[in-house]
Amino acid sequence: MSTLQSIPVVAPPAEEPSGGGNLLANVFDELLAFCRSRSLFMLHYCTGCGAIELPPAMTSRFDMERLGIQPMVTPRQADILLVTGYVSTKTLKRIILTYEQMNSPKYVIGICSCTVNGGMYWQSYATAKKLSDYMPVDMYIAGCMPRPEAVISGLRELMENIRAGRSDNWRDYYQRYDHYLGNQQRLFGEHWQTPTDVIGEARHYGQFGPETLGEHTALLERHQTPLLPFEMRLGLGDVSKGGKS
Amino acid sequence: MKMMELLLELTVMPLLAFTVGLFMVLMMRKIAAKIQRRVGPPLLQPLYDIVKLYAKETQSSHGLLHDIGIVMAVGGYIAAETMLPVPGMNGIADKAGMLTLAYVTMIPSLGLALGVGQCANPNGSIGIARALTAMLAYDVPFVVIIFGASWLYGSNNLVEVIAAQQAGGIASWGVTQMPLLAIAGLFTLYAMLGKQPFEIYVAPAEIATGPMVEMGGKHLGGLFVMQCFQLFTASAIYVSLFLGGGENWLFFIAKLFAVVAIPMSMAFVFPRYRTEDVLAVVWRWPMLLGLIGVWLVMR
Repeated sequence: MSTLQSIPVVAPPAEEPSGGGNLLANVFDELLAFCRSRSLFMLHYCTGCGAIELPPAMTSRFDMERLGIQPMVTPRQADILLVTGYVSTKTLKRIILTYEQMNSPKYVIGICSCTVNGGMYWQSYATAKKLSDYMPVDMYIAGCMPRPEAVISGLRELMENIRAGRSDNWRDYYQRYDHYLGNQQRLFGEHWQTPTDVIGEARHYGQFGPETLGEHTALLERHQTPLLPFEMRLGLGDVSKGGKS
Repeated sequence: MKMMELLLELTVMPLLAFTVGLFMVLMMRKIAAKIQRRVGPPLLQPLYDIVKLYAKETQSSHGLLHDIGIVMAVGGYIAAETMLPVPGMNGIADKAGMLTLAYVTMIPSLGLALGVGQCANPNGSIGIARALTAMLAYDVPFVVIIFGASWLYGSNNLVEVIAAQQAGGIASWGVTQMPLLAIAGLFTLYAMLGKQPFEIYVAPAEIATGPMVEMGGKHLGGLFVMQCFQLFTASAIYVSLFLGGGENWLFFIAKLFAVVAIPMSMAFVFPRYRTEDVLAVVWRWPMLLGLIGVWLVMR
């Protein structure tokens, strides 16, 4: 964090997918990539002041819908997770839960300086500094706060990356889950677990990589408690005299 | 040969309905954009959305019923399309009466209720309870309207109703023969489309899109397809009952889009009713108009 290089402003470009000389080899993939880039459902996790720049970007003035970008209200429906501002430790847990519930391909955008390097909360003990330590971030839009023009230009760049197949960071979360989980455990303690079975998903969808498992996932398995449905209860239980437990 | 022709019609009618429905969704979003002084989505935006949703690489299924619910939701409307006569094609419309059609259009809501139940999300359960309440609200005046139209044309068969209207020109259209029922029908259609102020079960800011709350990827894609069918079905029923059906595709599509455009131009300036207010409004005004209309027809 002390050197400029460790601040992840530019993601390394992935190699271009090759068609093997046949023009029609990738037609279907190209169509899907084009549709993905032209239809982005956005879930905004508005943690800080950056959220105030989003309404003008979405409504009459700048109108994101002409680019196919719409706000959505649940993580299941969304493609983009937009984190707009400082990420406190407590918030980060919710962001990770939200991120893991989204269907891939999914993209994370960090807006404002706070998600890039902590911003003005650099000295805060309760703020996560780099969002990309905890989940793969596809695009950072720096600024304090970035204006709607900057937000839209960032989104356009993301669209271009998706269309060219350069924005595949969601695979990284499966393939290097141990790294991300390690950073999460460093912050939340070794008992940290989420309801989503990321390792199982990685296996099921063929995203298993050499770094999916490691010492941190071993720690997770040691502390993991099985997920059980909440017990259904009527009444208020013991706290009220009349209630049935 | 007769059988092959029928099979062809049964395949082509839902496809055509879907295509028309895609453009209706586009029109709906364009109207919303124009009212809010925005540019709005590009021409193929509904198609991009659906292709993108079906191309999701990980899925979030909550079990078998969740999947079957979506199949029922889309399948119910596909069945309804085969009973709706379009120009040149009748499908099985002459074998199925209007009451069958009314029953079949209820299947999607019930299928959705099954699927949403398995998601175990409280927002979804609230949403589907509201959706079924809304269905109860608009189906009662809908049946009254069907009854009035069947009485006037002496048939419960949509093909005969359309033929009777087309034989006499505009003077024998439902809208001139039974204007009160036509107004009640437009009101019911508005409630059926579930747009503001009847948007009780979607309510994004309140219950996070209700039945759709746990739907992602292919499931949400299925619901987007269902919305295309829903817009087509509701407007095609109205056009067949009151606007003389379709003499040819040009007039038919013009009528369909006009019918959807009327509620859509009003919808986006309204907030939302509460659930009990939807029941109160829909059972008061379209019911009253519908009953007076039926009395005028039967007199």
